[in-house]
Amino acid sequence: MAAIFEAFRFKQKATFMHSLDPRTTFFMAVTFSIIGMLFLQIIPLLLVFLSMVPFILFARSTRQWFKSLQGLAILAGFILIINSFFISFSFAISTVLRLIVLMTAFSLFFLTVHPDDFALALIKMHIPYEFAFAFSMAVRYVPTIATETETIRDAQMSRGLELERGNILQKVRNYIPILIPIIVSSIRRALQVAESLESRAFGSTAKRTSLYDLSLRKRDYAMLLVTTFALIFALFVAFVVRIQFPFLLPDWFFWSLPF
Amino acid sequence: MILFKDVGFEYEPGQPVLQNINLELEPGQVVGLMGENGAGKTTLVKHINGLLKPTTGAVYVNNIDTRDTSTAQLAKTVGFVFQNADHQLFADTLQAEVAFGLRNLGFSKEEVDNRVAQYLELFGLTRYGGQSPFLLSGGERKRLALASVLCVEPKVLILDEPTQAQDALQKAKLLNFIDSFRDPEHILLLVTHDVEFAIRAVDRLIILSNGQLIADGSPNQILSTPRLLDRARLLPPQLTQFAHQMAKQFPQFPTNVTTLDETIEAVNQLLRGRR
Ligand SMILES: Nc1ncnc2c1ncn2[C@@H]1O[C@H](COP(=O)(O)OP(=O)(O)OP(=O)(O)O)[C@@H](O)[C@H]1O
Ligand SMILES: [Mg+2]
Repeated sequence: MAAIFEAFRFKQKATFMHSLDPRTTFFMAVTFSIIGMLFLQIIPLLLVFLSMVPFILFARSTRQWFKSLQGLAILAGFILIINSFFISFSFAISTVLRLIVLMTAFSLFFLTVHPDDFALALIKMHIPYEFAFAFSMAVRYVPTIATETETIRDAQMSRGLELERGNILQKVRNYIPILIPIIVSSIRRALQVAESLESRAFGSTAKRTSLYDLSLRKRDYAMLLVTTFALIFALFVAFVVRIQFPFLLPDWFFWSLPF
Repeated sequence: MILFKDVGFEYEPGQPVLQNINLELEPGQVVGLMGENGAGKTTLVKHINGLLKPTTGAVYVNNIDTRDTSTAQLAKTVGFVFQNADHQLFADTLQAEVAFGLRNLGFSKEEVDNRVAQYLELFGLTRYGGQSPFLLSGGERKRLALASVLCVEPKVLILDEPTQAQDALQKAKLLNFIDSFRDPEHILLLVTHDVEFAIRAVDRLIILSNGQLIADGSPNQILSTPRLLDRARLLPPQLTQFAHQMAKQFPQFPTNVTTLDETIEAVNQLLRGRR
């Protein structure tokens, strides 16, 4: 359960991906997600997925990314069963692929952008400081909550809790002793953080200056350019070619499983 | 009996957190486990109820290999009170909180009711019985956590930093409780940074430093060895510090004192000698 958070636990590394400006990485992640949402055919989704793999490798975060996919396993299994039952196995596969693409796009972002830089990027994009701050706090507390979830699970298992016991309904109920302490301690922490912020004069000046500044470098422009082209190309294929001239597309584009 | 045999453990491959742990805990002992932050104390004790399984070597609880059983199974024998009570309280009422473990382990309805009443009483929580655990004070929540683990009457009890954020009265009560748990059937393992507490509570002290056991013996002997304390980043008990100061002036003053009685004895000896 906590494995899914692993995907979003930022680790500082000296890689090409980590050195990009957060705005660039954000744009890339959003673009990959949009492209993932444009298509629902197996092969195009596979291509989108494959085009992301090099970036994961560049970021040297394969293991963490893999853990995030593991965390997705239950949800994916669920989608697979429901969709194969009501629609088709082929459709189920492409839905799961889309899920994987989205997950990969977001873990790429969260794995390579420091939460502080993220807040700075939001401010640069003219988002009010309070919102930017709230957002970066939320991101920053994800790992804390993940660790806490593990501790809570350990504590309840020590009291004889068995998560795997019983039928489906019972299994869901088994999570209550874990969920409630997470919620309660998150609320407690939120209140504490709020008090501690106010006691350190949060929001006392309207205009803030920052110690570090962000700037786009050559590599950022290069990546932005490539990403923009990819986005335009994907939009073109999805809305112009696929609708107006579907005969131009190769057969494999529409390939699906026969069941 | 608990047996660690050549135990090694790593969370991340290639980064050992525990190395070469050989340890035997016999019933009848109250054992203290101390060591610097990040030494691996919590990691070590999580092996006793199977929350973690050794990467190398094996851990046996009553001759059962922890790898062959589940934490839920071990919960009957091993009680584990975590550092932060908020990580385990979740029920609507104190009664339900205490009943949780008992129900998990399949006690009869009648037995559950009896034990709930008995343990709420033991920890002075009876008058809050129907109330929500979240309305209790910090110290009370801690006691409720203790009650909800103890009610299953485990033969082995692990307390991870039980004195943290407790006032002197609560510490004294905890000490009483520990003394009542000291009998030929039970093992109590106490993880703590509190030297003054350890010296009064435990019969045997184990020091873990950087994932390895570096000392195992009587608290008196270990807590008066500066080299060991230094490695475990502990300050000697105040009375030992006092003894060292005294020894600078009076070389015959013993430096291996840790308790009040020993200190009084040493001072008396000194006075008698000078008279
Ligand atoms: N879930 C985990 N994943 C990875 N590493 C961990 C995990 N839990 C602990 N560690 C690492 O293992 C080492 C030992 O941690 P542990 O919590 O056992 O120390 P401790 O002796 O209990 O410390 P403290 O006195 O601070 O409670 C630390 O370096 C810690 O960073
Ligand atoms: Mg610890």
